[in-house]
Amino acid sequence: MSKSKGSRSKGSKSRGSKSKFSLDPWPRNRSGLAAGCRDHLRVARETLHFVSARMGTSLLVWLLVGIALALPAGLFLLQVNLGAMTDAWDGRPGLSVYFQLDASDPAIKEVVETLRGDASVHGVTFISQAQALAEFQSYASLTDALELLDENPLPASARAVLEGGSGLADLQRLADLVTSAPGVAEVSVEKTWLERVTEITRVISRLGIMLGLLFGIGAVLVTATSVRLAIESRLEELRVLKLVGATDRQIRRPFLYFGVFYGLGGGLVAAMLISLSLLVVETPLTNLLGSYSQNLELAGFDPSFLGVLFAIGGILGVLGALLAARQRLGNLQIL
Amino acid sequence: MSQIEFHQVSKRFENGHEALRDITAAFEEGSMTFLTGHSGAGKSTFLKLLLCLDRPTRGQILVNGVNVTQIPPARLAHYRQNLGAVFQDHHLLTHRTVFENVALPLRVVGLKEKDIGKRVRAALSLVGLLSREGLYPPYLSTGEQQRVGIARAVVTRPKILLADEPTGNLDPALSRDIMQLFEQFHQVGTTVIVASHDRELIETMDARIIELSHGAVVRDEAEYVSGELPTDESRHVEV
Repeated sequence: MSKSKGSRSKGSKSRGSKSKFSLDPWPRNRSGLAAGCRDHLRVARETLHFVSARMGTSLLVWLLVGIALALPAGLFLLQVNLGAMTDAWDGRPGLSVYFQLDASDPAIKEVVETLRGDASVHGVTFISQAQALAEFQSYASLTDALELLDENPLPASARAVLEGGSGLADLQRLADLVTSAPGVAEVSVEKTWLERVTEITRVISRLGIMLGLLFGIGAVLVTATSVRLAIESRLEELRVLKLVGATDRQIRRPFLYFGVFYGLGGGLVAAMLISLSLLVVETPLTNLLGSYSQNLELAGFDPSFLGVLFAIGGILGVLGALLAARQRLGNLQIL
Repeated sequence: MSQIEFHQVSKRFENGHEALRDITAAFEEGSMTFLTGHSGAGKSTFLKLLLCLDRPTRGQILVNGVNVTQIPPARLAHYRQNLGAVFQDHHLLTHRTVFENVALPLRVVGLKEKDIGKRVRAALSLVGLLSREGLYPPYLSTGEQQRVGIARAVVTRPKILLADEPTGNLDPALSRDIMQLFEQFHQVGTTVIVASHDRELIETMDARIIELSHGAVVRDEAEYVSGELPTDESRHVEV
């Protein structure tokens, strides 16, 4: 074993205290929840100060992350509102039956009753020739031309609206049912329009997912690059912290807050960009929908949407920060 | 058992340079030791291995009976929290005040602000810099900067204080002042190991001297006689 004479021979003042044979002579610092919260608060405050002190860089990062978030979020809003619009379009798909001008009343009545009696039909609206003419006159400026005609050229019609949950197959079956009925001139099924809108919504949805993924990766990389720069500018401090016993978690912590602040700031910018876009398109959109007898009621841009936007921003920011920290702090040499 | 034991410790760098060769030495708790030798003798490597800033190629370093060369990376931080380290170039953060620099290790261990204030001021008072707590390091003299570094090293009241050329940039009078500070910490029971090439200065101090040359011990006033690894298994406590 050891025999240390020198520690006593010349000025050594060994206190001869008890030797410490212990499995854990350097226990983890268990300073508790309060100390942890204190440290988080301090780090958050310092990071916020650091972010605000470099406002130029921070603004740029917020803008880049904001644009990356705003595009897929905007597409999501578009998809939600297209869905809402198709629902609002009388709520359900349907078909219109146009009768021959000389169709007899019993024949018309039979077709209408056939439609009303079908289980998949929610309701039938019958418009007589006279009603059609009155309606036409109230809208169109061709009143004078109509007066030149001897008889009413507009046919009677019936519009059947399907029950919710009915599909295009029901619509086609009904159309087949009435097409060959006596007195029926034409059956107009609205499935084409429905199919188009459904396909457009589907395309927008997939585009939104793709853009969300791509721009999400972009947001992570932008944050990672910015956090990496922040790490580089504080390397000396990190080395000292490691030297005095900071854990890897403590070393990483400020940069995770960087990520959170960059992400949340990006979320705020995205919300502002979307609001601005909505303001810009509001008037033309109102006019467009008005031409389809629809009111502009934007759905989806609500507190929960904003909450999700901020949360996604924060998560992407943290991911970027973790990426940067893993790359740069993983092999940090102290001296 | 000594507080610190080096058992046939060698360190060879990737370029083939052998910084330490079969070093065997023991340091009692509360002792004061100077490591001396020419530039490149292995003094700094010796301290770095003790701080676990590097791993030896061979041998064991026991601190309180624990082989610190095998401490897992996740536990290194807690080990270092129990050591104080002073370097020639201070490693002070220039954008933080003297107070903030000294408070850094206390924040790491999660002390309350009130206690941090007390401990930092006590440490600054010990090194005679209480009136400078609000200044930034660049506005201090080299000697003052070194004393801030010492205050930061001792503010957690470590059981072991290591210093690597702490007087390297200082004039003889300031160097003596700094050494007196280390002597004070030694007097209150701290184990102090100082690496210094200033033979003239350390010869005036009342402490053990270990001289290194080309990585080997060429003089030790407290010869670690056995030179063999301990056989008592109870001393090999793995963490």
